[in-house]
Amino acid sequence: MKKWAFILFTVVLATVLGACTTTQDADPSDENENKGQTDETKEQKEEGDKAEAGEKVLYVNNGTEPKSFDPSIGFDSVSWTPLNNLMEGLTRLDEDSVAQAATAEKWDISEDGKTYTFHIRDDAKWSNGDPVVAGDFVYAWKHMLDPDTASEAAFLAYFIEGAEAYNSGEGSRDDVKVKAVDEKTLEVVLNAPTGFFLDVLTNPAFFPINQKIAEENPKWHAEADTFVGNGPFALVSWKHEEEMVFIKNEEYWDHDAVQLDQVHWAMVNDDNTQYQMFSSGDLDLASIPAELSDELIDGDNVYIGEQGGLEFYRFNVTEEPFQNKKIRQAFSYAINRDDIAEYVVKNGVKPAYAFVSPGFTGPDGKDFRDGDEKLVSFDPDQAKQLLEEGMKEEGYDELPPVILSYNTSDTNKAVAETVQNMLKENLEIEVTLENQEWNVFSEAQKNLELQFSRSSFINDYSDPVNFLESFITDSYMNRTGFSNEEYDELIEKGKTEVDEEKRWEYLHKAEKLLAEEMIAIPIRYYNIVSLEADGVTGILRHPVGYLDLKYADKN
Amino acid sequence: MLRYILKRLLIMVITLWIIVTLTFVLMVTIPGSPFNSEQSSNETVQANLERHYNLDKPYHIQYLLYIKSILTFDFGPSISQPNQGVNDLLGRGFPISFELGIVTIIVAVISGIILGILAALRHNRIMDYLAMGVAVLGISIPNFILATLLIQKLAVDREWFPVATWQGPEYMVLPIIALATGPMAIIARLTRSTMLDVLTQDYIKMARAKGLSPWKIIFKHALRNALMPVITIMGTLLAGILTGTFVIEKIFAIPGMGKYFVESINHRDYPVIMGTTVFYSAFLIIMLFLVDIAYGILDPRIKLHGKDGD
Repeated sequence: MKKWAFILFTVVLATVLGACTTTQDADPSDENENKGQTDETKEQKEEGDKAEAGEKVLYVNNGTEPKSFDPSIGFDSVSWTPLNNLMEGLTRLDEDSVAQAATAEKWDISEDGKTYTFHIRDDAKWSNGDPVVAGDFVYAWKHMLDPDTASEAAFLAYFIEGAEAYNSGEGSRDDVKVKAVDEKTLEVVLNAPTGFFLDVLTNPAFFPINQKIAEENPKWHAEADTFVGNGPFALVSWKHEEEMVFIKNEEYWDHDAVQLDQVHWAMVNDDNTQYQMFSSGDLDLASIPAELSDELIDGDNVYIGEQGGLEFYRFNVTEEPFQNKKIRQAFSYAINRDDIAEYVVKNGVKPAYAFVSPGFTGPDGKDFRDGDEKLVSFDPDQAKQLLEEGMKEEGYDELPPVILSYNTSDTNKAVAETVQNMLKENLEIEVTLENQEWNVFSEAQKNLELQFSRSSFINDYSDPVNFLESFITDSYMNRTGFSNEEYDELIEKGKTEVDEEKRWEYLHKAEKLLAEEMIAIPIRYYNIVSLEADGVTGILRHPVGYLDLKYADKN
Repeated sequence: MLRYILKRLLIMVITLWIIVTLTFVLMVTIPGSPFNSEQSSNETVQANLERHYNLDKPYHIQYLLYIKSILTFDFGPSISQPNQGVNDLLGRGFPISFELGIVTIIVAVISGIILGILAALRHNRIMDYLAMGVAVLGISIPNFILATLLIQKLAVDREWFPVATWQGPEYMVLPIIALATGPMAIIARLTRSTMLDVLTQDYIKMARAKGLSPWKIIFKHALRNALMPVITIMGTLLAGILTGTFVIEKIFAIPGMGKYFVESINHRDYPVIMGTTVFYSAFLIIMLFLVDIAYGILDPRIKLHGKDGD
C-alpha cells in the first residue's frame, strides 16, 4: 500500500515538475507557438472566407439562448428578434414602421371594420418548399389560444372574436372566428373594429406554423434541422447557448430583396464582452456598456432610435398620502425630467412629459405626441403650493412617511436617488428608498403593497391604447388601485371606435385625464441604441417591433 | 473500510433528501413566480401558465412531484426554456464546465504547489516574497476583474487570443488563467505554511542527518505531509469549479452550467433550481467522500472506521 502510494506520488510529481519546467522554459516559445496557432487559425479563417468568396456575413449578438422559436411561446425579445427574421406574418413593418403586405398580398376590410379577409401570396412558401396556406395561420393562432399551450402572448389575440373565451377555457376552439375560406384566403372576425389590427399582425405571436410539420413533430421548433420558417432567412445551425447561423432563404417570396448571405447570432450575455468583441471585429452590432456611454454615444457609428415605452413611477392611491390628487401632482411637479434623462440615464434617452411615447402615427399622418408634447412639467413653486393645499385637504400637519421602491439595478438606483434628492430639494420631503429583487418587487407591486414604485412599460403593439389601457379598473397591469369610470369609458371607445380620428381624440382625452389624476409620474421614454460596424446598412428597427435584417447589407 | 463506505453512502442519501426538502421549502417561500416578466399579461394567461407547470397544485403534491422527478432522474422541462428539459440543460452545460474546470484545477494545483514549495524553501528571501506577492494578488483580485483585464490586454489590444465564446482550445486560455489564479494563490499559501511547519520537524532533521538528497527529503518526506490541508480544500474546490462559475462563464460567453445556478433563481425556474441544487449537492457530497478516502491513502495514521469512537 505504502509503496504503491509512493510510486503513484512520484509519477504525479514527475509530471508536475515536467509540466512546470516546460512551461517555465517554454514561456517565450510558448508565445510563438500561440502566435503560430493564431496565425494558422487566421489563415484557416481567411481560407474559409475565400471559399465563400463574396459572401456577406453579418455577426450579431442575441444575448442569450432564445426561450423558444414556437411563435406562441417565445414571448421575449431574445426569441422574437431572431424569429422575426426567420418567419413572416401576414404583414411586416416597412422602413417607416408601417405595416405592409407580406405573406398576405392584399386584404379586404368589411364595412363595419370587423371582418378582415386576407389573400395569401401564391408564391409564399415555407423553407421546405411547402406553400404557406391559410390553414397554417388558423392552426398557429388557435395553438396560441389553446389554454394548454399556456402562451404568454395569447392576450394579444383577444381582439379576435371568441379568442378570450377559448383561452380562458370557457369557449371552444371552433368558436374562435379565424377561418380558412380556401387554401389562400383567411377570414378573421374581430370583437370590435381595431384600427391597428394590421399592425398587431406584424407581431411574431401571429406568425404561421406549418401545420403538417407541427402535427408530425410537436417539437419542430426546438432544433435547426426540424425548424421550418417562411421568412427572409432560414435556420441552418443552432448550437444551443452558443450560436445560431441563418442563411438567406431561397424559398422566400421576396428573396431578391435579401442582401445578406449569412447571419451569425452569438449569445454573449455580458455587456463589456460584447463591446470588446465589437471592438475586435467579432461582432457587427453591439450595445453601449453603461460606463462607456459618455465616450461613445456621440460617435458616427451609433444608431439612436425611438422605442415605444415609458419609465414611470406609480402611486398607490389606496395608501396614504397618495389618495390625495394634489399631493400626487405636487410630487410630479417637483421632478426635473430633463436632468434625469441627460445626466442620470444618459445614452441619448428623452425625458417624458406625457405617457404615450413618440413614434405612433395617427390618421392625420402626425405623431400622437405632435402638438401635445407636455402634459406634465417641472415647476417647484407649483409643487410646493399643491403640497400645501393637499396636506390641508387631508388635515396633515406632517406628510405620512413615503417609501420609494424600485427593482434592484444600477440605473434604477441612480434614478431613484435623483428623484429622492429632487423631492427633498423642492418639497422638503424625506423619501426613504427601498430596493428589491425583481420578482419580489413585482409581486409586491401587483398586490398593491408598495406605496410609490418604479415601473416600466414596453409596447406590445403600435398603438397608444396599449399603454393607456393598463390603467382601466381592475386591469392586471393597473397596480395603482386607480379606478375611474370616465377613463374606462374613454379607453373602451379608444379601442372600438371605427372613425380613426375620433378614436385618437378619445385616447388623447384619456391620456390627459391620466395626467390630471396623476396616477403615475412619467420619467423618460425608452430608446434603441446600437453600435454598427462600418459598412453595415439597411437594418430596420422599429419603435414597436423587432430588429429586421431583411434589407440589411454589409460592404 | 467497506462498512465505512456503506455507512457514508447512507448518510449521503439522507443529506441529499434534507437538501431537497429545504430547497423546496425555500422555493415556495420566496415571493414571485416564473411568469413575472416585465411584459404585459393578464389573469387568464397567468392561470394557464400555472396550470401548465403544475404550480396550481397544493404544495404537498408539488413536493411529491419533485421527489418523483429526482428518483427518476428526470427533472422535467425548464420553465424559462420550455423546449429544453432540465436534463438537457445540465447535460449540455456540465461537460463544458467540467472541461474548463478540470484544466483550471490542474493548472491551479500544479502552479500553487510549486509556488508554495519555492516560497517555503527560500523562506524570507526574495523568492518567498515574490511567490507570496503573487499569491496575495491572486487572492485579492476578483476573477471577473482579472478576466476583463485579460480580455482588454490580450484579446483587444493585442490580438493574441479570441475575446470570448467557446470554439476551440485557444478560447480556453484566458478563462483558465482568470479562474485558476485564485485557487492557485490559496494552494500556494497553504503549501508554504505547512511546508515551513513540516521542515522544522524532527523527522526531517533526521532525514537530513542520514544524508538523504534534498529532493528526496522534500518530495518523499516533507511534501507528503504538507499536502494534507491542500487535499482538505480540494473537495469543495473541485465541486465549485467543475460545476461551472457564473461570472467567468458569463464574461467569456462559455455555454457551461454556471449560469443556471443564478439565473434559475432569478427567474424562479423551479425545476432548474431543483435540478442544479440536487446535482451540485450530490457532486459536492461525493467529492468530500473521495477526499476522506484520500486522507486514508496519504496518511496511514488516519483510519477510516464504520463505527464512531473506535
